Amino acid sequence: MTDIALTMRDDLGNPRFNRGNRLVGLLSRNGLLVAILAVLLYGSLASPVFFTTGNMVNVLTSMAIVGIVVVGMTFVLVVGGLADLSVPATIACGAILSLALQPMIGPVPAFILAIALAGACGLVNGLLVGYIGINPIIATLGVGTIVLGIVQAAVGGVIVYGTDPASAALVKSRVLGIPTIALIFLVIAIIGNFVLSRSFWGRWTTATGGNYNAAQASAVPVRAVKAGAFVITALCSGLSGALLGLTLQSARPLVGTGYEFSAITAVVVGGISIMGGFGSVPRAIAGLIFVQLLTNIMVLQGVRTPVQGFVLGLLIAGAVALDVALRKRGAV
Amino acid sequence: MSAATSALRMQGISKTFPGVKALSNVSLSVDFGRVHAIVGENGAGKSTLMKVLSGTYLPTTGTTEVGGVEVRMRKPADAQKLGIRMVHQELNLVPDLTVAENVYLGRMPRKWSLVDKAAMLRNAAAVLRELGADIDPAARLGDLSISQQQLVEIAKAYAANPRIIVLDEPTSSLSEHETAALFKILRKMKQSGIAIVYISHRLKEVLEIADDITILRDGSMIETRPASGITAAEMIRLMVGREVTNVFPKTPSTIGAPVLKVSGLGDGFSFENVSFEVRVGEILGLTGLVGAGRTEVAKTIFGLSAVTAGSIEVHGKPVTIRSPSAAMKAGIAYVPEDRKGDGIIPSMTVRENISLAVLRRLTRFGRVSMSADRKLAAKYARDLSIVPPDPERRINLLSGGNQQKAVISKWLSANPSVLILDEPTRGVDVGAKAEIHRIIGELVAAGMAVVMISSELPEVLGVSDRVVVMRDGRASPAIERRHLTEERIMALATGEETA
Repeated sequence: MTDIALTMRDDLGNPRFNRGNRLVGLLSRNGLLVAILAVLLYGSLASPVFFTTGNMVNVLTSMAIVGIVVVGMTFVLVVGGLADLSVPATIACGAILSLALQPMIGPVPAFILAIALAGACGLVNGLLVGYIGINPIIATLGVGTIVLGIVQAAVGGVIVYGTDPASAALVKSRVLGIPTIALIFLVIAIIGNFVLSRSFWGRWTTATGGNYNAAQASAVPVRAVKAGAFVITALCSGLSGALLGLTLQSARPLVGTGYEFSAITAVVVGGISIMGGFGSVPRAIAGLIFVQLLTNIMVLQGVRTPVQGFVLGLLIAGAVALDVALRKRGAV
Repeated sequence: MSAATSALRMQGISKTFPGVKALSNVSLSVDFGRVHAIVGENGAGKSTLMKVLSGTYLPTTGTTEVGGVEVRMRKPADAQKLGIRMVHQELNLVPDLTVAENVYLGRMPRKWSLVDKAAMLRNAAAVLRELGADIDPAARLGDLSISQQQLVEIAKAYAANPRIIVLDEPTSSLSEHETAALFKILRKMKQSGIAIVYISHRLKEVLEIADDITILRDGSMIETRPASGITAAEMIRLMVGREVTNVFPKTPSTIGAPVLKVSGLGDGFSFENVSFEVRVGEILGLTGLVGAGRTEVAKTIFGLSAVTAGSIEVHGKPVTIRSPSAAMKAGIAYVPEDRKGDGIIPSMTVRENISLAVLRRLTRFGRVSMSADRKLAAKYARDLSIVPPDPERRINLLSGGNQQKAVISKWLSANPSVLILDEPTRGVDVGAKAEIHRIIGELVAAGMAVVMISSELPEVLGVSDRVVVMRDGRASPAIERRHLTEERIMALATGEETA
């Protein structure tokens, strides 16, 4: 019987698929790098301000705040959880609590408690999505609205100010010219990449997103894995919010508005499928860098805000369309 | 018959993709009122040929005539306009619509520009009656069994008054009983003058239903012959290019103590009071008609659905199984029936698929050891001769048989004491099938206990030591294979005989 095995061909292993795959794969992997380089080149030619230290520090700082959310959001997309729309609420939770609790329990416990409470919101998201099976868009939208309401009520709907200059200074400091916040982002990205690409949890996350039923039939705790992605995102957003609050030294309930969109845009532009089962943190960060640089150049060039929104909207629609097209070719 | 009366004439069809020739100079002629079967291993070019016929692919060279007129089909709608209808292996139906709505999907009868529901129900009922299918046209499609859905798919094609119907593996989800019903329908269609193109792996069925048989190998046409002038053995020889002597080799093994014992098992829904045991070195066949509850029993034992009654013992110790991971800990492994749906993670590599169930074992300080991971995949790629032998390849680029071997590898790496295989050779080609049987034989020879669920009676009889037949959610006692014939199993499965 074994000689049959030797004569067995397998049509899908033949070069027609390989070649197409490699080409498309090469484009989808390196297309973004080319785009980033193009934006950098254009930026340095078009604007004298672009490559100044001041501007780069600005870009890095704002990139770091969104970037920490992007790391979490990558898990949500890869696990097949569509998107976490409660990010503005968990960011507000982190920002407001880390400032508002300072006088009561001190800056460090306030910081930690703020992130933990944001994580608790993520746990609620995770239970609703992973265990009860509510559509993630609806669940996170609902939880986000409720959390935002609670936070708003807790602080009386006003702006909260920081009371601890030392922690503010620490967050705004630089190490060897690099903003501390950017370094924190780097650490989070490295941890996120390790978990997603190297740990069993990451493999489970990818498997659950790739084929939920098959993962379940492979003894993967799919419900917990799905819930976990939302907890990770909420912890990231909580951290991002706390850092944002300390940087601004003030926080209002709507401080996190728009971050969910920025984070989803970055992940999707990074080539991570909204259908799940595929993706990595470095890819999402490449998407983030591209979007952030593009936005920065548009600001520097005086592109009006509505036009900026138009460009970003086009970008996200284009990226998803490309993903669908690649999926149809079976190439992703 | 003359060329003018041919329903379909394809001549010199070639289809080249960048770097490979998927079809090379294939000619096919199908007359009205005949069943023309196309057989070949996976990758022989059957599906490419069908995609040319259905207008999905434009051939690189060659001509197609439908009803004596040369045509050029650029998209599926062109083929449909010419009266060519496909019945796909994967059902193309909408579960939330009614049977009638599915039958007339996209071309519902109208009255004052609104859908004429009464006429639609009437027409659908007439079509179903004509086909001899006992299905309520007003029923929600998703409530029907898979085999009934298959009939709806055929009714949908038939209702469009086609000249040519193409069926791709129509019996893969049907039991023998239902297959017989399907053949009755096909014969009726044939009598009404429809040309039928029939693609199947099941050679016995091909011989039963087909008038002519075309054999493809490596994208080339090997031969077309009348079905009366060929045997299954000859077909296999032409398909693989050699004679396969024993389709179901049975490796002798020593049968020992019971490993898995289920008593009075029920899920309160699809089966009740199911009892059987499987012993060391034994293959227990679990068969019956589709919908008899075989898969549900397996899923319940494996913790994918809840037990409501009865008990499960492994090695004489009662176990409580509420999840697949509990089943795995108890030493039970399950290779599911639906390979695409429950078996593989298509976006992952063969290696990642193989190690998925035992990932924790390969993990140290949270990190999956890549060297252990690679070693595991390489071992099984070699032991089960997965082709191509490259574990870094994405699993969905492998053929069905090799995907199945990867899924089996995933569970072998968990070192189970009992392995439940649900239709392990469905949709895989002849060569891979023999290999999977050889693997099962080796496993039991090494002392594993195997439960094999199968609808294919020659396979059940060829491979099993004992057989349990299920009917309407109840199981017969296990019967020694020497006391069994295909006829007896059918009698038990249909209730003509009660054990």
